[in-house]
This record gives sequence, C-alpha cells and structure tokens, in this order.
Amino acid sequence: MGTFFRKWWRLLVAASLLVAAIQVFVRPSPAIERAEPVRATGVALFRPFFLAVDSVREGVSGVWNRYIALVGVTRENERLRREVVALREQLHGTRDAILENRRLKDLLRYSETVGRRTLGARVVGHDVSPWFRAIFLGTGSEAGIEAGMSVVTPYGAVGRIHKTHPGLSEVLLVTDGRFAADVMVERSRVRAVAEGIGGNFCRLKYVSPVHDVVVGDRIVFSGFDGSMPKGVLLGTVVSVDRPKESLFQKVKVQCAVNFQDVEEAMVILSRPSIPFRAGRD
Amino acid sequence: MSYLGASLCVWWLSGFVPWFLLPDFPFLAIVFSGLFVSGIGGFLCALPPALFREITASGPSWSMFLGSMALYFGSREIGRRFLLRNEASLLSVVVSLLAIESFSVVLLLSLAGAHPFSILWGAQEAVRIAWTSLIAVPLFLDLSMRWRRVKE
Repeated sequence: MGTFFRKWWRLLVAASLLVAAIQVFVRPSPAIERAEPVRATGVALFRPFFLAVDSVREGVSGVWNRYIALVGVTRENERLRREVVALREQLHGTRDAILENRRLKDLLRYSETVGRRTLGARVVGHDVSPWFRAIFLGTGSEAGIEAGMSVVTPYGAVGRIHKTHPGLSEVLLVTDGRFAADVMVERSRVRAVAEGIGGNFCRLKYVSPVHDVVVGDRIVFSGFDGSMPKGVLLGTVVSVDRPKESLFQKVKVQCAVNFQDVEEAMVILSRPSIPFRAGRD
Repeated sequence: MSYLGASLCVWWLSGFVPWFLLPDFPFLAIVFSGLFVSGIGGFLCALPPALFREITASGPSWSMFLGSMALYFGSREIGRRFLLRNEASLLSVVVSLLAIESFSVVLLLSLAGAHPFSILWGAQEAVRIAWTSLIAVPLFLDLSMRWRRVKE
C-alpha cells in the first residue's frame, strides 16, 4: 500500500485538487471564503503591474495612432513631417481630451437620470479565458463597491460586480453564460429571462409563441428581480425563431454595449434587493 | 519568460486581439513547470501563473487556482512517466491537456445550466488550443537549447 502511495502520490494529489476545484465550482464552500485574504494579497501584488502594463498599452496605442499615418513619407519632407507630427500630437491630445470629456459628461448626465448613488470607474482589463466573459475595473471595495452591484454605461447594461478586492473589481458581463436577469420587451411589455450566450449576444428564455416579440424590439431590464435597475437597456432583438416542436420562441438579442470598447463604466452603488452570492451564479 | 508573456498577453493585447488568438501562456508556464522542473522548484514556478489565472479569470473563487495546481501535478506525473522529450510528444501532451481542461470547464458550466457555447465558439477554442500548442514547441526547443548551453 505504502509503495502504491509513494509511486502515485502526484497523481493522487492532482485528482484530489481536481475534485476540490470541481467542488468549489459547483458548490462553493463558506470555508473557501477564509482564504480570501490570500487572494486579496495576490491582487495587491499583481495590481501595480497590471496598471503599469495598462498605461504602457495606452501609450503604445497612442503612439500607434499618431504615427501610423506618417509611414512612407520621404526624407526631404522630414522637417515638415516633424512639424506635422508635433501638430498631430497636439491635435490628438486635444481630441482625446475632448472625447474623454464627452464620455465623462455622458456618464455624469446618465448618473443624474439613474437617481441612485453611482460611481464612475475605469476599465483596466478583460478576462481572456475562453469560458468566462468579464472585465476588470480599477476601483474596488475601498470605494464601497460590493458583489452584485450593477454596472452600466449611458448606452446600456454592462453586467454585475462578481468579486471585489481593494483597488480592483471584477464585472461579470451580461453575455457571460452565468448571467441571468429578468427583462421585458420595451414595446409590448412581454417579460422573459435574459441569459448570456457569449459573443455580444444574449438570449431570451421562456418567451411563449403567443407573445409579441419581433426583430428590432428593444429589451430593457424589468427590475423585478432586483438584480439590475429597471429600464436599463440590454440590447435589440436580432432574430426570432418559432420552432414548431418547442414550447418557447428562440429570441436572440444583440447587446447595446460593445464590451471591447468600454473604457469607463458606472457602478450603481446600491445593494441588490436579492442577496447575491459571488461565485454561485 | 512564460509568465511575462502571460501578463503581456492578457493585459496588453486583451483590448485589441480576440481571446482565441491569445496563446495561454500561464497554462504553458504551469505545464512546463510540471514537465521539466523537478522538485520544489517546479511547484514554486507553478504557483505565480496559477495565482495569475485565478485572479484574471472570472471563475468561482479558487476554482482556477485549484484546477491549475491539479494541472501541475498531472503534468509532473506525465513528465516523469510518459513524456518522450521530442516535439511530437510535447505537442500531443499540450494539446491533450488544453482540450481536457477546456472540456471539463464546458461540461461543468453546462451542468450548471449555462450554455454560452456555440459551434463558432468551438472553432475559436480549437484555434486557441492549436495556437497555444504550436507556441509550446519552439518555446520547448529554445528552453532546452538554453539548458544545454548552461550545462556545457
């Protein structure tokens, strides 16, 4: 027996860890929450590096945007080119500031219409794993952000806070397979459950064939389940399929927000009326 | 190097490049630690990328970390017993491990009721697996050449 364990202990450890991983995936234990300080330390260690890389990314993207138009200019125009570069830099800087200003004004205007306490936050990264859809905000629990809070932009819903750490929050996007919320068709007030299906799409579940849903309908959150604020736009219906053998229609919704392009988002600082358990949705 | 690549790939390119074109460097770092670095050194090498995966992937708390450590011990066992140190063998090991990991997560998510996976997603995931595995071979050749030089 001892020889068996000595020979195969690595495989047994791997199997035990795999079982533990499946266990926390399917049914997170409260005991695992005790390890949160370790996770928070990890985030604190990684965060400066993330932010540094994020700023380098911004810088490189700026240089790319500014110089790409000048490739191929001949040498005799060098002096003129330098002037153009300098002018373009100025112009680009101003244009960037104007665009940022416009976005922030939109956010501010929208936050006034929401009627709840809100907090603007910068997007610092994206989850690139193939299985989950999430973004990371550069503001965390120190600003009062909690799991379950809604994240929106003036153009529509982004998602829900999934986990928070000091200085970093993780937002589960509405397109993630684990996201579900009560929604309604703006025109006909038909209710359904929206569920993420990846890409930039959601689907509507439990829409009866007798219900009035057509391509082009706007889908908004109903607010009935308390998870997202009422009236926030989810997206537009892009396809409706009525299979004969099914009890429900197949409705596909394109989200109003392009999540790759979101640079700033707004966290609605009110707790969801239904308790949210991180990692279980 | 793998870890550095991972950080860059996730936080630098994530805004521009679709996820399926980004090779999974943390995965490679963990698998290579298991396959080629023996003893406690390999375990320590696998810890930062496992923690990195836990922090940057939005799975349930600690599931990615535990899964990554299981991956490390699994690849350690493969490295000790089955691996022939050639390109084809390494390629098949990396492809198998990537496919097993992906299939497990998809299965768990599907059993939990989430269905975010389509044929298009499958094709994209195949590209990611192929891309990551192909990167693994030159990385292995480079590392083994450096190691040989160090030994000499």
